Order: sequence, then C-alpha cells, then structure tokens
Amino acid sequence: MTREELMEVIEAVLEKAEVPDVVATLTEQRDAAVRFGQNRITQNMDTFERKLRITLGDGERESVYSTHRIDIDVVPEILSKAMDMLKTASPDPEYMPPVPAGQVYPIIDAWDSMTAEADPVGRTEAAARAINTAKKNGMEASGLVGMTYENTAIGTSTGNLAHHRSTEAYMRLTLDRGKPSSFRLLSAEAWNDLPVDDAIREVAAEVEADEDQRELEPGEYRLIFEPQAVVDLIPFIAWSMNARHADEGLTVFSGKQGESVTGSNFTMTSEVNGFLKGTPFNGEGLASNDAVWIDGGRLVNQPCTRYWAQQTGREPLFIPGTLAIEGDSGSTGDLVSNVKGRALLFRRFWYIRFVDQKELSLTGMTRDGVFLVEDGKVVHPVEDFRWNWKPLDLFSRIEKLGAPERKGQLSVPPMIIGPTVL
Amino acid sequence: MIDKMRDIAEGIVGQLRHRSVDYGDARVENTDLESLTFRKQRLAESDFQAGQGVGIRVLVNRCWGFASCSGFDSDEVEKTVDRAVSVARAGAGVMEGSVSLSEEIPSTGHYDGPCERNPFDIPRSEKLDLLARAADIMHTSPLINMSWSNLKFERKRKAFSNTEGTLVSSDLVFSMPTIMAYAVLGDDMQNRGFQEGARIAGWEWIEQADMIFWAEKCREEAIMKVKAPEGPSGVMDLILDGTHLSLTMHESVGHPTESDRVLGWEASMAGRTFLNIDDQEKLKYGSEIVNFVADNTMPYGLASWGWDDDGVPCQKWYTIKDGIFQQFGSVRETALLVNRKQSTGCCRAMDFASFPINRQPNFYLEPGKKQVTPDDLISEVDKGVYIEGRGSFSIDQRRINFQFGGDMFWEIKNGRKVQPLKKVIYRSKTRDFWGSCDGIADDRSFKTMGLLTCGKGEPMQAARMTHGASTSRFRNIEVGRGAE
Repeated sequence: MTREELMEVIEAVLEKAEVPDVVATLTEQRDAAVRFGQNRITQNMDTFERKLRITLGDGERESVYSTHRIDIDVVPEILSKAMDMLKTASPDPEYMPPVPAGQVYPIIDAWDSMTAEADPVGRTEAAARAINTAKKNGMEASGLVGMTYENTAIGTSTGNLAHHRSTEAYMRLTLDRGKPSSFRLLSAEAWNDLPVDDAIREVAAEVEADEDQRELEPGEYRLIFEPQAVVDLIPFIAWSMNARHADEGLTVFSGKQGESVTGSNFTMTSEVNGFLKGTPFNGEGLASNDAVWIDGGRLVNQPCTRYWAQQTGREPLFIPGTLAIEGDSGSTGDLVSNVKGRALLFRRFWYIRFVDQKELSLTGMTRDGVFLVEDGKVVHPVEDFRWNWKPLDLFSRIEKLGAPERKGQLSVPPMIIGPTVL
Repeated sequence: MIDKMRDIAEGIVGQLRHRSVDYGDARVENTDLESLTFRKQRLAESDFQAGQGVGIRVLVNRCWGFASCSGFDSDEVEKTVDRAVSVARAGAGVMEGSVSLSEEIPSTGHYDGPCERNPFDIPRSEKLDLLARAADIMHTSPLINMSWSNLKFERKRKAFSNTEGTLVSSDLVFSMPTIMAYAVLGDDMQNRGFQEGARIAGWEWIEQADMIFWAEKCREEAIMKVKAPEGPSGVMDLILDGTHLSLTMHESVGHPTESDRVLGWEASMAGRTFLNIDDQEKLKYGSEIVNFVADNTMPYGLASWGWDDDGVPCQKWYTIKDGIFQQFGSVRETALLVNRKQSTGCCRAMDFASFPINRQPNFYLEPGKKQVTPDDLISEVDKGVYIEGRGSFSIDQRRINFQFGGDMFWEIKNGRKVQPLKKVIYRSKTRDFWGSCDGIADDRSFKTMGLLTCGKGEPMQAARMTHGASTSRFRNIEVGRGAE
C-alpha cells in the first residue's frame, strides 16, 4: 500500500472510533529469503503480511485489538469488536491517554527500492555461491539470505500521524567441516551493500583455521571478543536496564542510576538516524530520540514508560531499535596482534541464558571458533566450552577497544577483556 | 468457517494443478488469540488478535517455493499462488533440486481437539476476576514486589490440502494459565511460577490448574526461596520432578533426535546433534529403565493436531527403548534421508506465514512400572537436591554439554528433604546424565508441561509441544551454586 492508502485506513479508524483515546497502527511486512543447509537449498520463501492494530481507551480502561482484515469498509465492524474488548476491561490505575499532539518524528531514510522489489534470483544465487564454495572446500554451508521490508503508518486521536518504511538485506552464514566452523552475520539497508562474496571467502578461510581443536587448559587468560561475541551479550544488559524493574528491585541496576556499572571505557547509546537506522516512533506513537544509556561506565538513563516517568520525574525513554557501543580504532586482528601474554579469541556465543536475573549472571557456550593466542599470535583453535560470566564484570575490565562494526541493529567494537580465570 | 477454509484450500490446490508443479499444498488458517495480563494487581494487557491467512508450498523440479499472504481475499490468494510458483522456478533455475518426499497415503477428515468449555464463551469478567484474585493473593505479603498473572487462549482452525488428494482440517483450542511471584529481600530477588503450562483444552484446564492454589504456593515459595541459603556444590544425587525434567528432556532428548539436525539443516541456527543416522536402533542413550515415547496422539498434547503440516497423521513411537535410541522424528522431506520409508508426522509451522519444518513431537519419559513414590526415591539419597520446575537452561549446539537451574530446590540429607535452597544449578553431558538415571517413580507422580515457545528455524519460529515425566533420580551429578 502507498503511504496515502495506509493513512486512509488509519484516519478512518480515528474518525469512526467512538471513544476519546485511540491509537491505530497499520503495518505491511514482506520477508523473502532462501534457507540452506547440508549444501542444499531447504526453503525458498516470499511471505507477506498486513496487520491493523487498534488501541482504544475511554479515560479509565484500555484494550488492544489486532486483525489481518484490512479494508476501509470493514473498519466499523473491526471497531465494534475492539469496543467489545474495551467494555469488558477493568479500570486501569496506570491509565495513560495517547501521547500528546505535536510529536516531532525524525525522518529516517532506511528504504532501498531495489531491495524491496528484489526478485528471488539474486538471493538464490548468493546461497548457491556459498554452497559451491563449501563443496569445493569439503565443507557444508548453512544459513539464511534474504530481504525484508516494513511499511508502517500510525495515528493517534491526539492528532499525531506518521509513516515510516525500511528495508533490510541480510545473510547469516555458517560453513563447517564437522567441528571446525565459522559464522558471519551481514546486514544493510540495501542488498547491494552486503559483502556476500567477501564473507563467503573469509568464513571458508576461518574454517580452515579452526582445524585441530584442542581442549582448553584451565588457567588465566585475557579474553578477546570479536564484535559478534559482544553482540551476543548486549541484549541481556539492555533487557535489564528497564527503569521500573530496577526501581522495584528486580534487576542488577536497582539503585544504580548515576552510578558506575562498568569500566570507564564502556559507553552504550542508541541513535535514531546515524550509522544505524532506528524507527521514528514506538508503538504508542511517541517520537524516538537518541539516548545515552551508559556513559563512560555510569548508568545515566534507563528505558522508562510514560507512566513510570510521570511517577518518578523522569523523561519517557525507549530503545529506538538500535544500540551502539563506542569503540576506538583497529580490527580484531589488530587487537590480537597487540595482546601480551596468553589470551583466548572468541567468535561468538550460543544459548546464553540468565543464571540469576538479579545478579545479571549468565551462562552460555562458545560457538564457531575459540582460539588460543600467545603474545599476539594465534596458536591453535580450542574446543567449545561452557562459561558462567557476569557481563558487567567483563565490561568493567576492558583493556582495549577496536573499531565498531555493524551487526544487525547493533554497532559494536571488538575488545580485549583483562585477565580472567577459566 | 472450517467449510469455507477447506474450500479455499481446495481452490488453491486446483490452481496449483494447472501450474505444472510437481507437488503443491495449501494451509489456510484462522486464529483467534485472547491474552489478559495482570502486572501486580492491575490489568496491564487486554489483547485480542484475529488472524487469518494462507501459506502455499510448491515443488518445481524438486525445488521448494513458499509464499503466504494474510487474509482470505481471493485476488491476494491468487497472487500468492503466483509468487510461490515463481520462487520455486527461480530456485530451480539456479540450483539442481534435491527434495524427495516420502510416499504417504492421502488423508481426508476433520479433527476437533479436546475442549469441554470454549474459553471464548466464558465471560471476560470471570477471567478478569480470577486473575485479580490470584494477584491479590500473591500480594498479601509485602515481600512480593512483583507478579504476573496471565490467561492466554487461542483457537486455531486450519485446513490443509495437497495435490496428492489430502484434504484435512482441525479445530484446536489452546489454553494457558501463568502465575509468577517475585520476592525481593535485601539485595536478592527470587521468583516462583506455575509450571505445567498450556494444553489443548478449554476453560476446564484453567479450573483444573487452580490458579488460586498456585498464587498462594508461588507467594509462599518465592519468599521461602529468597530467605533460603544458596545450594551446595559438588557431586551429588538429584531428584527431579516431571515439570523440571520436561525441560531437560526437551533440550537433551527432543532436539538431538530431530532429523533435520542430523542432516545439518539447522547447522547455522539451532545447531546439529551428536547423533548419527546409523545410531538408530543401536546407540546407548540412557540406562535400561529409560524409555521415551513420542506421542502426537497424546490427549491435551500441544502437538496433537490430527495431522501435521505435511498432511501426515499424528503418530506414536519410541524415541528411546530400554535405553537405546530408536529413531529420529521426521517429516516427509527428511524421512528417506534418515533411512525411513515414512514420516513420523513432525512437520509443523508456527503459522500460515511460516514454512513448515521438523519439530519435536509431544513426548514423555515412561513412568516406572513398579510402585515407587518420589519419597521412596529420596529415601535412598544421602546427599542431594530435589528440584521442581524450570529455571535457567543452556546446552551446546550439538546437544551434549548442558547446565540447568530450576524453580524450587530442596536439600536432601540422609534420605530426607531438610530445607529449601536457592541458586542451584547442575551440569552434565546428555548420555552421562540419562545413563545415571536409576529410579523413575510410577505414574502417580507423572506431570506434564506444555510449551508454547520452542524456538527453532530461520526465520525463527515458535513451536508448541507437551512433555511429561514422573519424578526420577539421577546419581552423581555435578551441582553448582549460582554462576559458579
């Protein structure tokens, strides 16, 4: 649907609703991808979904109704069902009206028409190139390559109207030869910006380097995290930052606002429209803003709902779809060559779960490459092992940061963590 | 509604027959989902989703093409048929196809899941009253700083048809109560929740689950936990109840025995398995008393759908018999590749917009045949921990090296439960762990856990299935404290 067609439905909902408080969102999403494994294509997909979400409120109660039936003619029928939900809801002591008028939405150019309209041949050929490289090297290729787009309009009964659309091209690639394996996540707004062939070549070389794994010898090591390994840890910190959960004593950040939670060389921010492209509004229609969450190790802001912000004298804040960890300069290879003594290099982690939510202690496995490094040189690969770590403790002992890289909607640097007993 | 959906599915298959595809199928789905959530003593979410759409899968020169659209609009559906065929043709133009489906007898029929009282007919005021009462009970103690109470109901009506003559439909109602209490004391927070999860059943499951009882139990046991000492560390015995074992089984038996993992189709995401194809009917997986029965005909089981998303009837088989691995759960596309003539009917998609993949069946650990109670098992433990419910869980991608927590812990000394504990975890390796099982209580302690959120596949799909076990004993397992 065009912007105008989306808005026509939104405006019909706002106009015909019989309650004062309304938020309507109409989203189209297309996801077209090729999945491969065992050097064969296992799925080839082109999915499309259109969904209307209506939040109604009468000043005391609120309810949400969603449907795949999108037609101006059936808006009254949809609203009638949404009203049935509202009438039976209980009064909400935390009721908030829709966001005030005058929201200023950032304009984010995250759309690439060629990517949105791409036919299946390009992505199928990309999968085929990965498979052919794997076959040539006695490996197996698996992963997913494709594109997605979202086209969303939102309106509030307080007078805000906004539209945003975005594309994303992506590739998740694993090559393996039994135990030796490597992995790469690529993403960009435009298909043409994905370095598919470079990634296939690099990952194949990394599998070769992962041959002859040896068991980890217990001892003290510096830890070198590739960007993907950092990415795997960050969501647990982000999830734990919620202001209300912290205030209620549920997370590690309870009572920590304004205090040091990591080392002074760790800064975590969100940007709406920079290197990473976020979303201009959240599900309530609140305008997105850049935010600094941890500044030089100090917790300076926490995501906070409008209700909790009102209760605690904060500004409402949310993560606008991106997270960035500040870095310095140099690649992972540069960090490796500069490390003194004994270290371990990690490509990524797997199956990370909270062990204790309040302590923010995590467990997980290494995956797709761990290497022993001695005085700046990779000595040999190490077998995967289980770890139990506290990420805030790790990020309190960062000795060096490299240059950030994009990994999905995160921008993160490689880093060296100080001596750690394993 | 079902008749209309069957007509749409048949209409799509009719169109596919005119497009010269080697095989084609259509899934037509209509889903109503109601979710009511109390955060503390306040209704925080009142949500209803009315979903419908169509997923179409075709084979052209042994290459898949899949397309989906939301809604039942006939023009959109016809365009979706075109997209499915064009995606398959594009794939066939780039790479030689490799798909071979097992031969299955075409099915016709309709299946209604068990549902005595349709939850969508229960007045919403009754649901909200139950949630409010549960929340009030949890918050009678000031130590309970947070709680969640939720009721989730889903009615999923499906029609499936394929070019081989299968035309089947189902009408399934899923009901799930959730209770979770969080106790905060000093710098610590501990929580306790209802553990049996969802069932294919109606309102009668909500009544049977008894949220009021669980609200009291969760309040008391969350407080007990937050005041409890941390668990011991070292090698000791474990007594695990059915709601705890359900997750250990899911991760260390259910996933490794999926056929797509042994083929490497999940290598980039969910991972592979330590098993090999020729381990079937040979490999010692556990002690001789360990028998796992896969059962997609299990009453109330979340994977008991009548037919899977290949149109193959739901079935029952042994995954592990007398400790020996028997066979992988499979779909039509993988059955021949793992040396089986027919699928076990494990093909399921999250929704109409998802390509169906190999999923875990319902499965359970067969109860012991002798009359044995959990207390009998405990009485033969000098030093150990008794664990109920699910907690932290993690396992490597080949499904060997795992670490689990739990929801409630009790120290066992000299054959008796002596005190509650917190922050207990244990670590083991899959075959060592199941090999250490030396006691399984009889069916009087059998409990099930219905899981709605098993993540697998790319793009990620959440699947649902039910597991069950009687309380069981495991000898000499490494136990740790918190994140040690």
